[in-house]
Amino acid sequence: MFKQFTENINGHQVYLLSSLGIFLVFFIVVAVMLFRLRKTHIDHMSALPLADGDTPTPNTLIP
Amino acid sequence: MQPEKFYYDNKIVRNFGIATIVWGIIGMTVGLIVAIQLFKPGMNMGNQYTTFGRIRPLHTNAVIFAFVGNAIFMGVYYSLQRLLKARMFSNILSQVHFWGWQLIIVSAVITLPLGLTTSHEYAELEWPIDIAITLIWVVFGINMFGTIFKRRERHLYVAIWFYIATFVTIAVLHIVNSFELPISAFKSYMVYAGVQDALVQWWYGHNAVAFFLTTPYLGMMYYFLPKMANRPVYSYKLSILHFWALIFIYIWAGPHHLLYTTLPGWAQSLGVAFSIMLIAPSWGGMINGLLTLRGAWDKVRDDVVLKFMVVGLTAYGMATFEGPMLSLKQINGLAHFTDWIVAHVHVGALGWNGFLTFAILYWLIPRIYKTELYSKKMASFHFWIGTLGILFYAIPMYWAGFTQGLMLKEFTPEGMLKYPSFLETTLRIIPMHMMRSVGGTLYLLGVIVMAYNLARTMAQGKLVANEAAEAMPLEPVTATTDGGSWHRKLERRPIPLMVGALIVILIGSIIELMPTMTISSNVPTIASVKPYTPLELQGRDVYIREGCSNCHSQTVRPFRSETERYGEYSKAGEFVYDHPFLWGSKRTGPDLAREGQKYGNAWHYNHMLDPRLMSPGSIMPNYDWLISQTLDTTTTRAKINAMRKLGVPYAVGYENQANADLNAQAQQIADNLGKDKIKVKSDKEIIALIAYLQRLGVDIKANKTASK
Repeated sequence: MFKQFTENINGHQVYLLSSLGIFLVFFIVVAVMLFRLRKTHIDHMSALPLADGDTPTPNTLIP
Repeated sequence: MQPEKFYYDNKIVRNFGIATIVWGIIGMTVGLIVAIQLFKPGMNMGNQYTTFGRIRPLHTNAVIFAFVGNAIFMGVYYSLQRLLKARMFSNILSQVHFWGWQLIIVSAVITLPLGLTTSHEYAELEWPIDIAITLIWVVFGINMFGTIFKRRERHLYVAIWFYIATFVTIAVLHIVNSFELPISAFKSYMVYAGVQDALVQWWYGHNAVAFFLTTPYLGMMYYFLPKMANRPVYSYKLSILHFWALIFIYIWAGPHHLLYTTLPGWAQSLGVAFSIMLIAPSWGGMINGLLTLRGAWDKVRDDVVLKFMVVGLTAYGMATFEGPMLSLKQINGLAHFTDWIVAHVHVGALGWNGFLTFAILYWLIPRIYKTELYSKKMASFHFWIGTLGILFYAIPMYWAGFTQGLMLKEFTPEGMLKYPSFLETTLRIIPMHMMRSVGGTLYLLGVIVMAYNLARTMAQGKLVANEAAEAMPLEPVTATTDGGSWHRKLERRPIPLMVGALIVILIGSIIELMPTMTISSNVPTIASVKPYTPLELQGRDVYIREGCSNCHSQTVRPFRSETERYGEYSKAGEFVYDHPFLWGSKRTGPDLAREGQKYGNAWHYNHMLDPRLMSPGSIMPNYDWLISQTLDTTTTRAKINAMRKLGVPYAVGYENQANADLNAQAQQIADNLGKDKIKVKSDKEIIALIAYLQRLGVDIKANKTASK
């Protein structure tokens, strides 16, 4: 099923390969940055929506 | 340091909320009307201003930019203030943004039925409105970044990154897809032509889905879902990873709308590859959302707001799985141009955008009015009738898509098309279209019940227009607080974050767009393809005004089933003078790329007068007004000049002679019609349209005759 896919490239593999390369580099950079994040920072960030000082209304009291 | 007291602006949130509901009802009602017109053409009320070709764009613009647009601003204005612990930057800018956006929508409601359109899907609005959109978008940007700069929370939560990416990408998309050369107050020609125009349009069209219907909603999901479930997001790391991956990959996927067209093969392959990769970040977002509800699934049973969120997220998951599948060439070959795509879009629109919007409205309105929801039963009714509506909508449309797609490709054992008449396939799916309008009615009914429920909620409470809050001001960054990883630093620097997002979306855009724009071998020219005559050019503009491309494509794909049915497959060089391109994206009727000289002028005249005279059972509306309306030839000079500026080789000074040529050609057609006992003056619009239709695909045939 991928025959048409590969046949239609007509010597333009450079576009596909370089695109994949750019994406991989980018993805690895983001992943490395993620691993360098501290646990406390992550906890702080994920709690941000819950800590915006909104007062709960009677029909959805925070348990 | 003392905590600072400030007030959240809830009034602007409320205003955008009301606008969401009002435009939602209007946009969906227009959708229902156009859906009914597809089995009962008389539902156009015999009126050009309410006919499918003109109001289908009104439906899409109203639900995308008016319903979803206002919902985005409602969600952003509510969550941004709270995540940044600051009031919106400027009350005046908030007001200008709100009223400016509503005025843009009103101008769309007026101009689209009048037939003032660029014909670019989801970008139909003409150039003055394009400028207004740009200005109001900038106002929104200033207001958002102004709020970010005066924030009291140092780090920007992931929702805000999604908002920033939305802002910057929509700005780029809108500007690049709006390069038009105006010829009058409400008429312009696209600067790009043919294949290049198609590539820009679908780069825009696909990313309007990505950055208007998806990224702002993901941002809203990341804020509202933790609030609704009262627990933090499942994985903050995953949210970061899928943010960057999503905005990087999405921008490349546009060419999957142009598979098997004359777009260069490598660009199509690139679009397919990135579309398939897109499953990963899309599902990353969906899974992150659903898993946020871990340990809270018991709440889903009781809380209608969470029910809406769960179905919305599931619809997102289904649509983002189906999208990559539809971009596979084999599947696309069958599904493209059929109702399958309509079903796919509506799973996303009704499920993801609609249900998330409803959930946020039900959650937010009682809060800013300091009251409870007027009726939970009504909200529950809305949920169930909405879900049923989606099913009744999507299932018949899938069925219709498979049926028609397969019928159009079926051959007899002798090698002939089994259904040579396109109309036969249309008639087969009419029951599915009827069922679809039932689904749409159910969904709309739910929205009306919601409007009533929320109106009563507002009436029983009192808007807290300015909600008091307190937070510590930001301390200046010192050496000790400035530590941490690069990404942590990025999270507190909005401008580098915006620039980063901009670079990420520009990489894909440039690699995809530039070669087709600049390397001439990507668009091989054909010597026999000549510019349109003035009458044909005017006829083409009538075709654009009536929105014919909403139902008729103009590109024959290289399948035997299509070359047998329509004629030779399309070549890139055939479209070099087409500002804008008119390939269309849906075949409610047959392709018209090879329509020229297939039938006589009289056939077209009678077919426009009443399509059922020539094709019994046809669902095409009557275009009888074209017979009575006089063609405006005062624009010919400006049109010829504009086309020449865009590179169409009309001789210098031809504009002076153009109307004489136009009249001569029109008289020929009128005389020819006279032979068939049709009396019509040569200055009527129908004559120009016939001239254009008779020209379609003819040049390439001339080439063949010459080379024989």
